[in-house]
Amino acid sequence: AEKHCNPCLDAAKACNLNSSCKRQRSAYIATCSKEDPNKGEACSKKRCHKALRLFLDRVPPEFSHRLLFCPCQSVGCAERRRQTIVPDCSYKDKEKPNCLELWRVCRQDSLCRSRLADYKVNCWVTPQTVSTCPNQDNHQACLASYARLIGTDMTPNYVDSSFSNWTISPWCSCKGSGNQEEECLNFLRYFTDNTCLRNAIQAFGYGIDNMQNK
Amino acid sequence: KRARRPNHCSLRELELTVSELGLGYESDETVLLRYCSGNCSAHRQNYDITMKHMMQTGFRKKGRKNKVSNGPCCRPTAFEKDFSFLDNKSRYHTVQNVSAKNCGCV
Repeated sequence: AEKHCNPCLDAAKACNLNSSCKRQRSAYIATCSKEDPNKGEACSKKRCHKALRLFLDRVPPEFSHRLLFCPCQSVGCAERRRQTIVPDCSYKDKEKPNCLELWRVCRQDSLCRSRLADYKVNCWVTPQTVSTCPNQDNHQACLASYARLIGTDMTPNYVDSSFSNWTISPWCSCKGSGNQEEECLNFLRYFTDNTCLRNAIQAFGYGIDNMQNK
Repeated sequence: KRARRPNHCSLRELELTVSELGLGYESDETVLLRYCSGNCSAHRQNYDITMKHMMQTGFRKKGRKNKVSNGPCCRPTAFEKDFSFLDNKSRYHTVQNVSAKNCGCV
């Protein structure tokens, strides 16, 4: 039954029918699913991240954002959405670091540092403000900044295949923060409790619906 | 009377789900299958004319029971690069040489 209404499957179809999108998508999936012969590990995270960044750089957002933010009403759809970035390789790790530690790692890398700063500029407003996104509720800017974090140490993703109550987070937690727990939770909220990001993703879904109804 | 379009060997396209490809994968993802079809009679070489004759009488006269293809075939001369998809059990697969890139009479 999911076959009949799965916007994430439709997004994959749209990409497969465009020769450039199909080629670039296949390239990152193949890289991220390939075993790393040097380490004998499941994959090379470094290469996978690079391939993901190339995909998101080269493929227009009309294809890539559709894959990342497809509006789901079923578990099958949400699972496909979660799988978009090949999370087993690009997202998960053997251990889940503390978010402040991950933040430190990100700040040491100029690409990750600047993209995280960009994300905060475009996706975060203080809770008291009237609008939900910066720059007059610019949802597109927030989604683009979110997409640019994919392929960095701060790669965010949907944490599970829930479609009604989804959460986004980088691969980290605030366990073991000691006296810095408050600071850690405040950082994690940029992802897990972000009204701008949430609204932008939900509005993206409506945008697709409107296009299809025309 | 309608003039019939010459049916040359060429690349054709068809939208299919991965499951419909018959490769044993179960995935509802839609792909574009490119394949080769059409006539190759314009590309017959002396070899093909000789082989057709040999199949009819020549081989038997010489005491042979060989079978040979009696003309050029419309086949892929190149395939598209790897293709990757997510199956219905949330596993990714990459397959090669599924879709044709160019066709020729060979």
